[in-house]
Amino acid sequence: MRRLAHALVIVAAVAGGTQALFAQQPSPTDALAQAHEFERKGDHAAAADAFVRALAARPGDPSALLGLERSLDPLGRSAEILPHARKAVGAVANAVVYPILIRTYMASGSRDSARSAAEAWARLAPRDPSPYRELVSAAMQRRDRPMARIAVETARQRLGQPNVLAYEAAQLLAAEGDWTGATREWLAAIAQLPGYQLTALAALTPAPERFRAEILGTLKDEPSLDARRLQAALMARWGDPLGGARQLIDALTTPSRAQSAEILTQFADQLRAINTSDAPRARALVLEELAERSTGVAASRARLEAARAYQEAGDREASRRMLGNIGPEAPVPGNAAATLIGVLVDDGKAEEAERKLAELRPGIPTEEFQAINRRIAWGWVRQGNLDAAQRRMVGDSTVEGFALNGRIAVLRGDITGGVTLLRMAGPYAGTREEATGRTALLALLQPIEADSLPELGAALLLLERGDSADAARSLEKVAARLPVDKGGAELRLLAGRIERQRGEHGSAERLLRAASSEAAPATAPAAELELARLLVTLQRQAEAMTLLEHLILTYPTSALVPQARRLLDETRGAIPRT
Amino acid sequence: MKRRHFLGAAAAGLAVVSVPSPLQALLARRAPWLLVPMDDSQTDHLKAYGVTFRTLERGQKAEWFLNYRSGSFLLPGDAATVRDCALSGVAAEPVEEGQVARIRAEIEQANMDAVPLEKAPKVAVYAPPNAAPWDDAVTMALNYAGVSFEKVWDQEVLQGGLGEYDWLHLHHEDFTGQYSKFVINYAGTPWLTEMIERNRAMARTLGMPSVPAMKRAVAQAISAYVDQGGFLFAMCTATETIDLALASEGVDIAASYADDSPMDATAAQRMQWGRTFAFQDARLELSPTMAVFSDIDGHQVNSPERRQPLGSFSLFSFSAKIDPVPAMLVQNHRQVIPDFYGLTTSFTRRTLKPAITILADEPGAPWAKYIHGQHGQGTWTFFGGHDPEDPQHQIGDAPTDLSMHPHSPGYRLILNNVLFPAAKKKELKT
Repeated sequence: MRRLAHALVIVAAVAGGTQALFAQQPSPTDALAQAHEFERKGDHAAAADAFVRALAARPGDPSALLGLERSLDPLGRSAEILPHARKAVGAVANAVVYPILIRTYMASGSRDSARSAAEAWARLAPRDPSPYRELVSAAMQRRDRPMARIAVETARQRLGQPNVLAYEAAQLLAAEGDWTGATREWLAAIAQLPGYQLTALAALTPAPERFRAEILGTLKDEPSLDARRLQAALMARWGDPLGGARQLIDALTTPSRAQSAEILTQFADQLRAINTSDAPRARALVLEELAERSTGVAASRARLEAARAYQEAGDREASRRMLGNIGPEAPVPGNAAATLIGVLVDDGKAEEAERKLAELRPGIPTEEFQAINRRIAWGWVRQGNLDAAQRRMVGDSTVEGFALNGRIAVLRGDITGGVTLLRMAGPYAGTREEATGRTALLALLQPIEADSLPELGAALLLLERGDSADAARSLEKVAARLPVDKGGAELRLLAGRIERQRGEHGSAERLLRAASSEAAPATAPAAELELARLLVTLQRQAEAMTLLEHLILTYPTSALVPQARRLLDETRGAIPRT
Repeated sequence: MKRRHFLGAAAAGLAVVSVPSPLQALLARRAPWLLVPMDDSQTDHLKAYGVTFRTLERGQKAEWFLNYRSGSFLLPGDAATVRDCALSGVAAEPVEEGQVARIRAEIEQANMDAVPLEKAPKVAVYAPPNAAPWDDAVTMALNYAGVSFEKVWDQEVLQGGLGEYDWLHLHHEDFTGQYSKFVINYAGTPWLTEMIERNRAMARTLGMPSVPAMKRAVAQAISAYVDQGGFLFAMCTATETIDLALASEGVDIAASYADDSPMDATAAQRMQWGRTFAFQDARLELSPTMAVFSDIDGHQVNSPERRQPLGSFSLFSFSAKIDPVPAMLVQNHRQVIPDFYGLTTSFTRRTLKPAITILADEPGAPWAKYIHGQHGQGTWTFFGGHDPEDPQHQIGDAPTDLSMHPHSPGYRLILNNVLFPAAKKKELKT
């Protein structure tokens, strides 16, 4: 009986122990779920432990293996995966386990082991470039370019494909400073996968300036359309968008209409991101070519875009030509009308613009109509016809309308009325530039006490019409009639700025010195800063520094002091010139 | 008129706004003293050093209040100093004698001290004549703060010209004469070609057999300058290579592209570490194709296999009354500073001589960042890294504009070194 009891105790103990053991050992699925949860929370150490548990239960689980690699990396314990990865060889797909081995060996500096792992994988998949690709990638990660180069060469030799791993080779050669070689490799990569076109462009764009001619020469020597596209895009990014556009258009002799359209559209989009002065014209050329190769709505849309681009490039004639060819199916009448009327206004043909607007009126939404209407009104202002401008603005009660009416009133010399309207427009109407211009105009008018000053309006109108020489002279005359602190200094400052922009340095200096009066403390800091900038331009640094010191010490509360201090530092050579 | 109310508001952004005016406050409350705080209330920490330096240049006296408001300065409240503060955008508080007395009492009772600053040190920067002013953190700091300095190069050093200066700065010069090993990656580039030609021409002029021999002679002249009481401040690779040059008397440690003869295979055993400032028992990099000199540098930025990531370093805290020199060198408004690379970024602890003082290190890492020591009658300070505000600094990077970093704690450490020689001699014992 005692023996039986003893045996029962042992059985119970064993059974209980086994149960406890089972309770401590979650299923591999649970461990994996826990690991992913830890990983999601950023607890990499706990995630790594859980992934190890999952692998202990199921050594061939690729998800656990990859998860463990991810978790160990941020902990700086990457090498700990090696025993698990080695154990998983044969149990997990080669494409999972071998890359882990290669990456880990390379990361720990074991180059030979990484190479052996790649060789082992290559023996299992003799026609697959993946082992070499993985080795190149891991080597590049470690900046081990010799190893990467060996891997590329070995792959090409063993697989008998001279262009295999072109993408990797391109990056390797660029890292080594061989930009010509990198360019050739990129072309090979694009030939294999056209999607690399944009990647190649992004990779070659930062090439140092001294290599650029060589890269473009290499591309020029290649006859393919891929090379032309890359050449055109690089020319555009490196400051010659017009040359690039012409190059591309000339090369589009073989592709189908649809393919050409796609290539041109993509290039036009690329040009949109370029800010050089001739980029709009290049874009216009490309869009015009696109229109020629398109039909129906697509052609009209391209012409409309081309018209805008030509307008932006300042070529109103070409813009009109584009607009004249837009078919009746033109997709967005409001946009087309705005572009066409914009061209007419810029051309000084406000009357024709009015007629065109009347014609197109039924198809244009109200808001857009008002915007176009204001543009025509401003066109009348630019022509000097304030009455016509004001007539057009009748009934426009938008905030933008108040702003424009206010400016027209000021140009008529009605200071009080103009200021009231500008005030009603507030600081946010229109574009940022318009708002800034409005605030500057208000600052100019602030010290003037007269309610009406037609001579000032006339001077400002000259400025709006582009006659800056007469405007500066007129402003100076008006200033002479005003006390220094009641607008005299402010108007001289404006006249001085105009003269400086015109390159009339003597006249600018005289006006700015007159504006730098301590009797007008609200204006003097700006005048002194402007004068100091002029003196720096004229290589009169010592005078500029004295002036800037005067500004800082005399007007310490001016918001311009930080700018003055920076210019002083630059002039002294204390900081690099910007 | 009603419109003026609106116009006044609209014009405010363009002309004048009502902001507190340091100058007006100072002029209105002219006091015998100006306190230049160096805590977070300071508007331009770096220029504050320039204001103090120029005060000394004008023959005035100043005081450095160690650990008081992060190392503030007490300057005379005369018109010239007030004007200088206003022009430089440096915050200064007028203080009466009574307030100064209260500050002194506070200093007396805490880990603080008041160190008199007596004379503006005469500063020399060792740099080739064509060196861009924007490629050297110290030159940038001196220019920005407005501390006057002169440039010296090999000829001046070897002809005994250092004697007229109180303070000498070395930046990224390679005193092993291997052109910072740039030949490995930049051979053929115009700037490197020019650098090599200029150094070879100077070696010929000075009758030296090679550039490495000339640079070693320069290193020895600098060592003698410190030995006789000079102050040396070095950054970046100058720290490591000046010691390698000093230790390699009679040993060829330069690659053949520098002196037409390969490195001595037994160089490591023949180094004489007793001659150096800071380091001992370093392992030399024997490969001419590795852009590394030795294992003195902990970060090894140009060796992909060994490169260590950047962390941050912490300044040590010293007793201002007992250890005024290291206390001066670590005055700062930040105690933890982000690290930055240089050809030599840090100094492996294993290679440091026992007698040196570590001023800053990365806790837990096997390297120090900022070290100091005595050498004969003089002192030296080594600061690893190239540019505190350009942590990754690559050749060809845009120059650092210090007006964008007026509170840079890393640059403050450089400027601490410039003012340190101005401290009254009797205080300079550690």
